[in-house]
Amino acid sequence: MSFIDSVLLGLSLVGNVEAFASLFIGIVIGVIGGAIPGLSATMAVALTLPFTFAMSPINGILLLLGVYKGGIFGGCIPAILIKTPGTPASSATILDGYPMAERGESGRALGMALWASCTADLVSNLSLILFAGWLASFALKFGPPEFFTLILFSLTIIAGVSGNSLLRGALSAILGLLLATVGLDLVYGTNRFTFGDPNLMGGLNFIAVLIGLFAVPEIIAMAAHPTAHLGKARSLGKTWVSFDDYRRSLKTILRGSMIGVFLGSIPGIGAAPAAFLSYSEARRTSKNRANFGKGEIEGVAASEAGNNGVAGATLIPLLALGVPGDVITAIIIGAFMIHGLQPGPMMFVLNVDLIYGLLIGLVVSSVFLLIVGTVAIRGFKYVADIPRRILMPAVLVLCVFGVFAVNNNIFDVAVMFAMGWLGYLMMRAEIPAAPFLIAFILGPLLEDNFRQSMLMSGSDLSILARGPITWFFWAATVLAIVAIVRSTMRPDTQAG
Amino acid sequence: MKLKSFMAGLACMLSAGAALAEYPERPINMVIPYGAGGATDISARTIAEPLGKAVGSALVMSNITGAGGVTGSVAVQNARADGYTMLFARVGSHSVNPAMKATLPYTLDDFRFVTVYEINPVACAVRPGGGIESMDDLVAKVAEGGVTYSSSGVGSLLHLAGAMVLSEFGVENPLEDATHIPLQGGGAAATAVLNGTATFICTNSSALASFVANGQLKPLMVTTAEPVPGFDAPTANDLGKPGLNALVGWTGIAGPAGLPDEVAAKWGTWMAEAAGDETFVQQMTARGSVIDVMSPEDANAFIQNQYEKFRALVDELGMRIEG
Amino acid sequence: MDINRRLGLVSLALAAVLCLAAIPAFVSSPSNVRNIVLSPTFWPYVLSGLLALTGVILVFTRYTEAGETADGAADSAEPVPGAGLRLAGIAAVMILTVLLLPRLGMVWTSMLAFAASAFLYRTRHPVTALVCAVLVPLGLYAFFAHVAGVAIPQGQFVRLP
Repeated sequence: MSFIDSVLLGLSLVGNVEAFASLFIGIVIGVIGGAIPGLSATMAVALTLPFTFAMSPINGILLLLGVYKGGIFGGCIPAILIKTPGTPASSATILDGYPMAERGESGRALGMALWASCTADLVSNLSLILFAGWLASFALKFGPPEFFTLILFSLTIIAGVSGNSLLRGALSAILGLLLATVGLDLVYGTNRFTFGDPNLMGGLNFIAVLIGLFAVPEIIAMAAHPTAHLGKARSLGKTWVSFDDYRRSLKTILRGSMIGVFLGSIPGIGAAPAAFLSYSEARRTSKNRANFGKGEIEGVAASEAGNNGVAGATLIPLLALGVPGDVITAIIIGAFMIHGLQPGPMMFVLNVDLIYGLLIGLVVSSVFLLIVGTVAIRGFKYVADIPRRILMPAVLVLCVFGVFAVNNNIFDVAVMFAMGWLGYLMMRAEIPAAPFLIAFILGPLLEDNFRQSMLMSGSDLSILARGPITWFFWAATVLAIVAIVRSTMRPDTQAG
Repeated sequence: MKLKSFMAGLACMLSAGAALAEYPERPINMVIPYGAGGATDISARTIAEPLGKAVGSALVMSNITGAGGVTGSVAVQNARADGYTMLFARVGSHSVNPAMKATLPYTLDDFRFVTVYEINPVACAVRPGGGIESMDDLVAKVAEGGVTYSSSGVGSLLHLAGAMVLSEFGVENPLEDATHIPLQGGGAAATAVLNGTATFICTNSSALASFVANGQLKPLMVTTAEPVPGFDAPTANDLGKPGLNALVGWTGIAGPAGLPDEVAAKWGTWMAEAAGDETFVQQMTARGSVIDVMSPEDANAFIQNQYEKFRALVDELGMRIEG
Repeated sequence: MDINRRLGLVSLALAAVLCLAAIPAFVSSPSNVRNIVLSPTFWPYVLSGLLALTGVILVFTRYTEAGETADGAADSAEPVPGAGLRLAGIAAVMILTVLLLPRLGMVWTSMLAFAASAFLYRTRHPVTALVCAVLVPLGLYAFFAHVAGVAIPQGQFVRLP
């Protein structure tokens, strides 16, 4: 069967109002869900799942994909406006998005986030269509040793988000790694720093740590100095992203999309590391690197491109291998199975019409996202006009509800507050919070993959350099470290 | 209106015992101790609809994830035994974990089971083309050394299943002769066999069904007495190991230990009604589950029996985790 | 004292506590560990070592960029009258929130927390703040409980529909 035939088959399946309507509704649900901290894209997808049982398979899956894509974008709205990432994937957006909002440029930041998201989404969907088979077989070559080297390389991102002092960044990262050891040991199942509390056995909830580290310190700082914000412009104003902004950031956006596609096609990494990696690459290569972290629009573009680049690419292992890349795609696999469909290589033979129908729907979703996103930004802009001393208590209450909803556990609210104080102390000591967060995400992955490699090889370290992929990442890690050391030795880069 | 609900709340508090006659008078909170999208979650959300109809009031589903089902189970263990907080218990959280972990904050006695409604056959599979075509090949390979099996973590069904199957097939010391590789979740465990990180996996047949259908994995055996549709592999009984019949996954519903008899009885009737729902049965069997609704007594006996078998094996092999 | 040196000393102290007390006491390792690199204590010890190393470097590095920090940081360092008292206040609000959540329920606790923190911030719109303190938690409850289907804790006294 030719490519054209397949496309026509797919078109016959999705060429109706219901299919596009479910996609559109999905994106609306996703953007709203993503914009509410604690609800997150994952929860929004999980909550939509039961509604798809009664729908036809293609419409149901398009609905879920819409929620997924909308949710990943929607997360940037609260990240920029109130420094509370709606989904973990948008935590990198805070770094430059929130300072922009503080300057009264939230409209510009949100606009850029939307444009970058849609572009990355399109790139991601196109790579899914063009390279699915190739990327999937590549992803399957990733065993624990390959993951270990990839994550080791990803940890060099920390240098890019450390701000003024690399040492403080490193300190922050080590604290994050230490905190991530709380919980049950992977290999032996024994307790580590759980103090006999069952709530600690599962480790600290990631969302609670995330919101605690970024949003709660603002609430505390507001108490220390309630009038610090007066005199600063904070309305959405008339600033909107210009085409010139977009053109200047295009290279960054495309690079971020590629990083997103690459990391998205490998199961188990997720969107948050992709956003951070894209951000640190953008900073490394930008002319305005001194301005990163202080409200550089390119930073917003980079992180949003990174996380939306993942959204299409996670479908590569899902469709080609039947392997879920993250929690959201695991839920989507559930939707396939409920309809009696089994994702995997055979699906490209048995259900070609469905596959191409999905691909057509995905390409359209980028356009829908642009429309829904534009409307959503207009709707949420009033948040920027709320007086801060009313907004911050509201954020406090929102965080309590949101963090509870993630895992239905009051203990997580306590974790959030405790992390908030840690974050506040770190803010006062000028220790950057972003390295802490990256380390908290990557630390357990690094340790687990190291130990899994050791189990595979019978504690023979040579397995960590067992093939070309590991060699590549070892080389990349060494190069990154050399580059970091050289840039710290040259003091003039700091003067900027 | 507020005053009214206040009075209602007060009345409810004062007459907790008497109010049981009208149980349930408010939504029941159903705790799922595993994450969204997992086998327990999908099973729970599939039964929620017919069950909600049978109960006559809404069921609120809450995922409380962490520590292989422990966090959510503890939340129900500590809840008031009024029937308004119930748990979707699973083989991992309520028979493997209690058998393997000395430091587990609960025992089976802390829960009262009202039903077990789903049985999941367990299948063992390997990557095709690796020279392993049957269980005998696998056992021979174990003797050569270097065999690994993947699981979704310490204390999961997969962890125990790998050791139990090898032990039944005459491997003297499966913990030393084969290496257990714990991974992050069931999906990752299956992928590990797919890409050669681990040699074999024993898990719920539903988790392997699509890989087997696609020819990505080769099933070696299923642990049930009856063959599993879609799995072209001998049963444990065909291979002369009926002892493996106890190695099955299940999902049930439990409340805290002090659950009143009336509540348990009500759940019995609700479950019988809900499990008769055609769409439910069809959706569950499509995913490879066997629907078998047990009465509260049968459920308790079934779980106790499985726990004792597992416990004996754990003690024999020295798998108990003390720390 | 230079801030880097202080941070360095704190890191060294933390690393010492971890190695000497916390890891041996709170990380349990089975006796039959096959190889040291597989032990549950291996990674925590590696991290403590890295922490100590960072601490040593911090102690011997002066904070050269002190003059070039962002303006925001300079602001927060300025003493504001009553800051300590208000910080204690917000800490009390947070602790009470966690303690009251299971007893009063999330909605009523949130209303109190909203009102208390708005009062701490000395808001210029007290009436608006009070109205919001009632409406925001109710709105969030309606959304999370009835749209998202989350079992929001109801407390022991007044149950919302």
